[in-house]
Amino acid sequence: MTRKMTLAILFLAPLLFLQPALAAPVEQPETVCIQCHSSLPDRLGAPVNLWRGSIHAENGISCNGCHGGDPKDAANAMTPQRGFLGAPKEKDIPGFCGRCHPGVYKDYLSSAHGRALGAGGPTCVTCHGNHQVVKASLALINEKSCTRCHSFERAQAIRDAMQQTEEYIDNISRRIAGFQASGVDTEKMGKSLFAVRNRFHTLFHDVDVARVKGESAAINKELGKLDAALKEIEQSHQKRRVAGGIAVGFMVLLAFLFHLMKKSYD
Amino acid sequence: MLKRLYRWLDLRIGVGEIVEKELTGYLLPRNINEWYSLGSVLLVIFALQVITGMLLMIYYVPDADKAFKSVTFIMNEVPFGWLIRLCHAVGSNMMVAVLILHMLSTLLMGSYKAPRELNWVTGFTLLALVQGISLTGYLAPWSQLSFWATTVATNSASAIPVAGPYLVEFLRGGKLVGPPTLGRFFALHAAVLPVVIAAFIGAHLFLLKRTGISAPPFGREGTATPFEAQQYHYQGHPGGIPFFPNYVLQDLSSISIYFAVFLAVVFFWPGMPFTPDAFVPADPFKTPAHIKPEWYFLANYQTLKIFPSELLGLSVQAAAMTFLALLPFIDRSPERHPLKRPVFLTLVIAGILLWIALSVWGHLS
Repeated sequence: MTRKMTLAILFLAPLLFLQPALAAPVEQPETVCIQCHSSLPDRLGAPVNLWRGSIHAENGISCNGCHGGDPKDAANAMTPQRGFLGAPKEKDIPGFCGRCHPGVYKDYLSSAHGRALGAGGPTCVTCHGNHQVVKASLALINEKSCTRCHSFERAQAIRDAMQQTEEYIDNISRRIAGFQASGVDTEKMGKSLFAVRNRFHTLFHDVDVARVKGESAAINKELGKLDAALKEIEQSHQKRRVAGGIAVGFMVLLAFLFHLMKKSYD
Repeated sequence: MLKRLYRWLDLRIGVGEIVEKELTGYLLPRNINEWYSLGSVLLVIFALQVITGMLLMIYYVPDADKAFKSVTFIMNEVPFGWLIRLCHAVGSNMMVAVLILHMLSTLLMGSYKAPRELNWVTGFTLLALVQGISLTGYLAPWSQLSFWATTVATNSASAIPVAGPYLVEFLRGGKLVGPPTLGRFFALHAAVLPVVIAAFIGAHLFLLKRTGISAPPFGREGTATPFEAQQYHYQGHPGGIPFFPNYVLQDLSSISIYFAVFLAVVFFWPGMPFTPDAFVPADPFKTPAHIKPEWYFLANYQTLKIFPSELLGLSVQAAAMTFLALLPFIDRSPERHPLKRPVFLTLVIAGILLWIALSVWGHLS
């Protein structure tokens, strides 16, 4: 008995060393821009909090990403020698944003919005906000925003045409991801969805109703092909499940029969 | 027709004698229970792993540049390739699970005790070998999951003082997991370990035949002749039930139940052995966010994490494994009924709970 107790103690003793892992999240050191500006009042401090809720902050793009300057040297952070740009003038805004978003910049410039740049037309920040930059989505095309400059009917027509396509793309993308995570070779479908999605994204800054409608219809047709291919896989998987169900049922039946046979020998 | 064939064979090689000795005349304890059939289930699983493994080898290419593509090809292009691969992957998980159940039943019924110490030791070695073959097979598809799980697993050897870093390099065939690692792991997985496992299964069965099967410590009255350590003797069960047809039917029933569960997983939960990282090609430059080992290594993984030093964590694991491996030599009382061994039973339950807790913790952390 004592030997068993000793064994028990020996076996359980290591538990005394158990301690929860120290898991403090490591925060990114803040740039000097944030350090100074977050304590400044009004116009100079406000952008910090706005930025914190932006898609830029989410993706780790800090002040210097757009405004330039040196985020590590407080004394010289805002000197032009360190590449500081400051705030762009209104008509320079699209170019300012376009340094990182060249495709969108091009689409914008060729649209009616872009052609009205400098003549009262909207710039990027009109819809996306300046510091609290909002991710491009169809939610940005809404009555409140659009009616600041014109009536909503045309915008509504564009949004309706795009909404349906976007949902379609989301749906197909989800299904492809699901199949990919179960070993189905989705490489080809993934590539063609990628191409279709890019084609769709070029419509986001187009404000020509007829073109948006026509393109959306063409994109929907492309998506239809993917949809059909996915349905085929879904059907074959459904067939597998039916076969599997039959196989499982057969095995349960066999087990039961063997059990009965065994009982007859008892 | 069958009768004539039987007679023909019997006249030439004496089949009747073998049948009499090994099947109808092979008597088992009358109170034998269902748990004893897990060994047969494991034999079937091992056979199925060997067969599916051989079939996979037809299309699988053990080359870092081609391995992932070849597995994708098996899953998508080869007729029933998906089924073969899923059976192999699910089968490996089920093999570990059934092996654990088999060991637990041995543990609780005290079958590891004298004169069956060697059965336990060979069985325990088989557990380690099965873990080894699972680990080496894990790398084969050359996916992100494979790559990083192997990186983590081989890295734990570095905690061993002095020899650690050399051992890691020896295992990997280089400083990092790379094509040479795949080569050596594949050789171990497909050539070395299956043979070693088959040899140990042979030894395990040989020992079973030589010592005779143990009678459960409960149920209907026993038929066993007690073991006395004076000289070798076969522990027979006069008045017991014949292996064929009585217990063979139990084996078949258990095997069918196993297949029902196994096929249910294969067809209705095919993602069980995988995480989404399993379908992304290996990329040494991109570490996935949450890399976790298989469920049966989660407790080991968590143990390594909670101890202040890896060496300590590794030592504790080694100590626990050694303790388990040598259990028949430590626990020498002849009492086998679990309820009459309260300290032992408490330890077993505490051990199981600790293992489950560590695994859950490892899974969630």
